[in-house]
Amino acid sequence: MVKETVVEVEGLRKHYPPDVKAVDGIDFEIHAGEVFSLLGPNGAGKTTTVEILEGLRNPTAGQIRVLGAVVPKDYARIRKRVGVLPQNFDPFDRLKARETVVYWAGLFERSLQKKEVDGVLRTVGLTARADALAMHLSGGEKRRLGIAMALVGEPELVFLDEPTTGLDPHGRRELWQVIRDLQKAGRTVLLTTHYLDEAEQLANRVAIMHKGKIVAQGTVEELLEKAGAGRWIVLSRPGEGAWEAVQRLGLPCRREDHGIAVHVLDIRRLRPVLGELTALDVDLGEIATRRDSLEEVFLKLVGARLEEGEIRA
Amino acid sequence: MLADLRAYGKQFLRSWAATFFIFIFPLLLLGLFGAIFSNTESSKINLHVQDQDGTPTSALFLDILNGTGSVNVVLVDEGADLQAYIREKSATAALLIPAGFEADVYETLAGNRTGLVNVTLYADPSQAAAMGIAQGAVGGALTGLNFALSNTRPVTGMDFEPVAGAGLTAIDFFLPGILGMTILTTPFFGMANTCAEYRARGYFKFLATTTLRKGEWLLSKALWYSALLILAMFVMIAFGLVLFEMTLTLTPLALVIVVAGTMMFVSMGMLIGVFLRDVETATAVANAIGFPMMFLAGSFFPLETMPGALRAVAAAMPLTYVNEGLRATMVYRNDATALVHLGVVLVLTAVFFVVAARAMSWKGK
Repeated sequence: MVKETVVEVEGLRKHYPPDVKAVDGIDFEIHAGEVFSLLGPNGAGKTTTVEILEGLRNPTAGQIRVLGAVVPKDYARIRKRVGVLPQNFDPFDRLKARETVVYWAGLFERSLQKKEVDGVLRTVGLTARADALAMHLSGGEKRRLGIAMALVGEPELVFLDEPTTGLDPHGRRELWQVIRDLQKAGRTVLLTTHYLDEAEQLANRVAIMHKGKIVAQGTVEELLEKAGAGRWIVLSRPGEGAWEAVQRLGLPCRREDHGIAVHVLDIRRLRPVLGELTALDVDLGEIATRRDSLEEVFLKLVGARLEEGEIRA
Repeated sequence: MLADLRAYGKQFLRSWAATFFIFIFPLLLLGLFGAIFSNTESSKINLHVQDQDGTPTSALFLDILNGTGSVNVVLVDEGADLQAYIREKSATAALLIPAGFEADVYETLAGNRTGLVNVTLYADPSQAAAMGIAQGAVGGALTGLNFALSNTRPVTGMDFEPVAGAGLTAIDFFLPGILGMTILTTPFFGMANTCAEYRARGYFKFLATTTLRKGEWLLSKALWYSALLILAMFVMIAFGLVLFEMTLTLTPLALVIVVAGTMMFVSMGMLIGVFLRDVETATAVANAIGFPMMFLAGSFFPLETMPGALRAVAAAMPLTYVNEGLRATMVYRNDATALVHLGVVLVLTAVFFVVAARAMSWKGK
């Protein structure tokens, strides 16, 4: 079954004089009901791309259609069908969570009944904090309130621009659940992030952006396959001398928390390598295998690691 | 737009600082000015007098001086060092009646001496009001003494009436200035901060994703501040009526000037907020513009008392036209003059609004 295309981007460029190419000729599509992630370091061009799709910036070149409208020309026509959570969102300090939802609904020409407001707050897990001033909410609660604001117009398409940046692990997990619930409810989500695990956990499809270009896109499995990803043999809590013994085998390996990870690029070599390891006369601890993650894919495609939104050589 | 108006209003009223500066601060100023200028007793000053002559003539002079009602005569021991006494008591005004005062007076009356027989007034020039009162009282007392010595009586005199008619009190003259000051501070500082904050926190971009238009947002702010300042005006008038028996007239033109002035300062604040990226800088710049304007535009001092150069500066201050317009219609009941000031305010409002609205962009480049 062919899914409806909600966003179509073709040859999108955004250049700033004299020679800054914020977005440098990208193409992608987002289908109805999927979570599509633009993944990349800070400065990759993710937010510029999203703001162009939101009608907030004019592109230098390219064709963009959002919900069938040509953007930015006809954006006003689809405004009510799109929900937006901007980057670094911080709600209005002196409005309560409930009042904020009512206010934002009013800006979409919707008058919400109390029951409907409660429903929106329940969706983002803010029922208990409905009457708290936004200035008294935690970082995670503020972002969830931002998502509630994005949802007040019952949008078909939701843009979430780095929704978990700056949150603690607990806040991130809570927000992930909200995004999963949006997906279950059948909404289409464009999620930008610089967290590899976030894209891997939440997105149906991922586009990796670097220096204004999309260097790869597809499902996580497709990206792993394209990048020639392999497997890791993980030795948990190995005995004394294990690290030196593994190193002597000349296999690509690294130390991890409480263990050693040995990389096997060709999956057909997994069994022989396991044999070499178990033949060692040391305590290897518990042995498990895991597949490569987007981290390795990113490293292969870009030639550098992505940590906290920054490129590390 | 109503949703925006309601939300902005709630946020404003939940800010203690904002509420204080629009409702409480003007009342404090009114109370202060009212207490200072409505009580005539408070305009009396202490005049420290050393009578080194100690004669019936000097005693007569002191009686006349006491009778002016402008000074409380405080006698200084005749053997004291008057200069040291003045320093010790931080006296703002002191008078020396020299020894031989009576003798010199009679010598002069007999034609044996030429020139005037002088007393010496010491006064602090930095305390202009006190010095003026002392000079007036001593001068009046000397004139009285001259009449007494020459066995004549004054023929002409003076009645006093407030310039805008009987019944007006000092607070009637101050209220338009205080109101003008509030019309400046609340929307001007408020909008400068709001615009800078909205830019810094990305709210303008966020608003641009809704159905609210930029013009509606601006209008909702202008409506909010107009309603707030009309309310503040009623509170100030009620305060003046109850505490100081104020009698000034609330005219329809005054309401129009309040609204027009509010629109003007909303636009000016917006103009500053549009060009400055953070709240701290916007506040500093708004203060640097607003506070001098408050003093130079005749909110607290009459423009006539200012030096020529400052009067020229005052003429360039938008607040001057709000203050003068309000005084013209509320105090002098001169609506023709008030309309001229209103015209200037409206032209400035249009200019500031158009420039600010054009400069303000909710979207990115």
